[in-house]
Amino acid sequence: MLPIHPVNDTYFGLPGYVFAWAIFIAGLSLFFYIIYKRSLLIRSGEADPRLASLARRLSGLFFYGIIQKRQPRYLWAGVIHIMIFWGFVVLGLRSIDLVTQGLNIPIFYPLMQTAFGSFYDTFKDLFELIVLGACVWAILRRALIRPERYRGSHQLEAYFVLGLISFLMLTDMFYEGSALLMDQSGHVKWLPASELAALILEGSEPRFLACTHAVSYWLHILAFFFFLNFLPLGKHFHIITALPNVFFKKLSRGSIKPARWDVEDIDELESIGVEKIEDFTWKHILDFYTCTECGRCSDNCPANTIGRPLSPKMLTIKLRDHCFDRAPLIRGKHGGAPKEDSQAMVGGIISNDEIWSCTTCGACEEECPVFVEYIDKIIDMRRHLIETSQNPKTFNKVLMHFEKTGNPFGKPAQKRADWIKEMEGTPVRVLREGDEVDVLFFVDSYGSYDPAAQAIASNIAAGFHIAGIDFGILGALEKDSGHQIRRMGEEGLFQLLLEENMETLNEIRFNRIVTTDPHAFNTLKNDYPGSLQVVHYTQFFADLIDNGSLKPLRPLEKGNIYTYHDPCYLGRHNGIYDAPRKLLRAIPDLKLVEMERSRDRSFCCGGGDVMLWHEIDQEEMRMAEKRMQMAKEAGANVIVTACPFCYIHFEDAIKTGGMEDEMRVVDLMGLLVSTLRD
Amino acid sequence: MNIIVCIKRVPLTQEVDLEIDELRKGVKKDALAYVINDWDNYAIEEAVLLQEKFGGTVTAITIGDEDDEEILRRALAMGADKSIRIEAGERELDGFTISKILAKTIRDLDYDLIMTGVQADDDNAAMVGIMLAEELGLSHAAVVTGMEPEGNAATIRVELEGGMDEISKIKLPSLLTIQTGINDPRYVSIMGIRKARKKELVVINVEDLGLSEDDLAQRTMIEEVFLPPETEGAEMIEGDPSSVAGQIIQIMKEKGVSI
Repeated sequence: MLPIHPVNDTYFGLPGYVFAWAIFIAGLSLFFYIIYKRSLLIRSGEADPRLASLARRLSGLFFYGIIQKRQPRYLWAGVIHIMIFWGFVVLGLRSIDLVTQGLNIPIFYPLMQTAFGSFYDTFKDLFELIVLGACVWAILRRALIRPERYRGSHQLEAYFVLGLISFLMLTDMFYEGSALLMDQSGHVKWLPASELAALILEGSEPRFLACTHAVSYWLHILAFFFFLNFLPLGKHFHIITALPNVFFKKLSRGSIKPARWDVEDIDELESIGVEKIEDFTWKHILDFYTCTECGRCSDNCPANTIGRPLSPKMLTIKLRDHCFDRAPLIRGKHGGAPKEDSQAMVGGIISNDEIWSCTTCGACEEECPVFVEYIDKIIDMRRHLIETSQNPKTFNKVLMHFEKTGNPFGKPAQKRADWIKEMEGTPVRVLREGDEVDVLFFVDSYGSYDPAAQAIASNIAAGFHIAGIDFGILGALEKDSGHQIRRMGEEGLFQLLLEENMETLNEIRFNRIVTTDPHAFNTLKNDYPGSLQVVHYTQFFADLIDNGSLKPLRPLEKGNIYTYHDPCYLGRHNGIYDAPRKLLRAIPDLKLVEMERSRDRSFCCGGGDVMLWHEIDQEEMRMAEKRMQMAKEAGANVIVTACPFCYIHFEDAIKTGGMEDEMRVVDLMGLLVSTLRD
Repeated sequence: MNIIVCIKRVPLTQEVDLEIDELRKGVKKDALAYVINDWDNYAIEEAVLLQEKFGGTVTAITIGDEDDEEILRRALAMGADKSIRIEAGERELDGFTISKILAKTIRDLDYDLIMTGVQADDDNAAMVGIMLAEELGLSHAAVVTGMEPEGNAATIRVELEGGMDEISKIKLPSLLTIQTGINDPRYVSIMGIRKARKKELVVINVEDLGLSEDDLAQRTMIEEVFLPPETEGAEMIEGDPSSVAGQIIQIMKEKGVSI
């Protein structure tokens, strides 16, 4: 600690610390007022329990909040951010130290006299340079490289804040640098930032040094409190809310939130879904505050990529602006009631097309460094649209079919097992209530009725048969799993299908369920109550290959190069990336290449939900066509999927894209079965 | 404007291979899924649209058992205010008896307009609407594709044979049989239907209506139900898609379709 301090000077006839106290009290009061105002909306949000699994939350906070594991998914932007973030962590102590010095209560003085103090002085100086360097780098990146993902973000605010952070670094550097030159006692510590400032000030008159010292201090303190109050006004609110947001992140994968967390029976609800901003849960409102506008979500969003009117980032920015409008910092003229909305939130600020453009692929959520959620919010808005009959009209018949026949096609339940009639030499048992079986094969609607998906179901049955597995299907007793229904927002109908399926499942004794498609797998595993033992067929057969029960022997036709497309609900939503690849590697002579966007960055085929019954007019090309191009670019001529919906979309895309001569789509099970038989 | 809509619950048959029952007087119904008759769905929507625009009440009426209440609740969820189910017990009904029962029920109600679907998806007779109008002594129009009320009259658009439309004026009260496509019926969610349980649903027993046995005696009796005999004349067109398409166009031209 240097002996001279600007607060000991007299300004306008008053001691400096009076001003320091004034800035401190004003700055902090204003800050608490703003935070209080911002908290009002969060407190009016719906219930959302986020405290269970404390250990997992703390570890999430450590890895994603402190270590910032997701940042380097965009390497250089991530490195810059980590530099600045860690600078803030280290320099936070320094800032408190500087403020408390001014208040004449130097609480850190004793600490700074210890060995830690002298280590810290050097350490924080080093970080000041690192942060300064990172800010300059970030400014240059924004100005020169201009990443596309920043389009629509508050760019000026970004530049302003980078400038403000640099200013904080510089004022401290000059505050310390001038002191170094004034202090003739000589120092032994290495202070790279301060010494750099001292080098610049070298040879200045003592009066100028004293002045620089004082001005730097006051500017630093003023800038600090200005910054503090500026944060909650825009995207830099994340500096305050990001760590809580990461701590409170959604822990379950693949599931959709219930209509309301605090009401178990949806029949007790007056209305369902989100119509206005307060209908979101408090955590979802915190999400809006926390968005950093980095645009990684939209950069990975398939709907955004193909030109649909959905950009997850813009959805959040628009809703945050709407939050600020609904709960303004300064009361309105008429007793502070929030101003009347000029347009509805759902259907106005967020258009219906935006809401129906989402395939719920989860690419946005996988990417977001601060764990902003999108799918639950979109489903909640869909619930409102369905509830108020504002859904696309093409859904009407489909939903009626689901309700009346348990499948989207309106086909009779009695025909649900008709596909097994075509299975020559492979008996398939149709289970009845009270039966016992090892593997309950949940075929679901597409596998049961759609010709392309029936072929996949048949291959799975053939695989079971070859491996000697005791398996059976539910036939007419099976109802659609409801995965699509829930994601279309028809929660009541989903509950109905779930109840009917659970009744059936409770009447049959089985060890595990194997599903045809990742969607049924996901919903049975993550949306259904209890803990059903559910696996997707890729997991089941990968295990059989592992333990030697199955061995692919027959080599494939030569000359093909395969690539594997990760279905969203197998990969991203359930973390199953290796089982399908294990199956592919087990096939003799199969040449596999990876697409650039694979595993958790897989690009959705168009989806197995809304897309099947509703077309968004505004799009430049089909998602599946885009994906086929990616497969081609990877050098493959066969794209392998493990989901009937992906298969159907790719088959279409090959035709509409005129790629019949160059590309082919196969289902992994078909490929596997062809190598098991002679 | 007070509107009464007569609706019926019918089996979903498009994807079903219907089987004739043992008596050969009907089809096996146990495995069929039942829904609101498509035409009636448009009629309810039209009534609700009119009510939303001009006020008044919408009352939905059906004849059937407890299971048939489902379509009344659906109508209530769509926006109808009240509903009536007429319990007919084990009685066999035809268009004549249905129109008698409906007329007797409706006669004392306060209404400006009655709507039915053009026909029901089960027997496609298209009789009830017109017979009901006759029974009540109302002016009527069938196969209505548009309706705009003006004072105590309405401008209506009616679909005629040969692809022609006719616009005319009709005095209220009257009865209209509604054609599909007149509007876009809204979807009502399962939750919406459940919530509609709170709305009024009155059950009337057909025996309490004071109809004579003659009124309740069927005028049409089914002698036999059978599948149409398979006939010759199907021609399989083979070849690659472009030559198949070419052949189809050729045949259509030959048969006189102007392309």
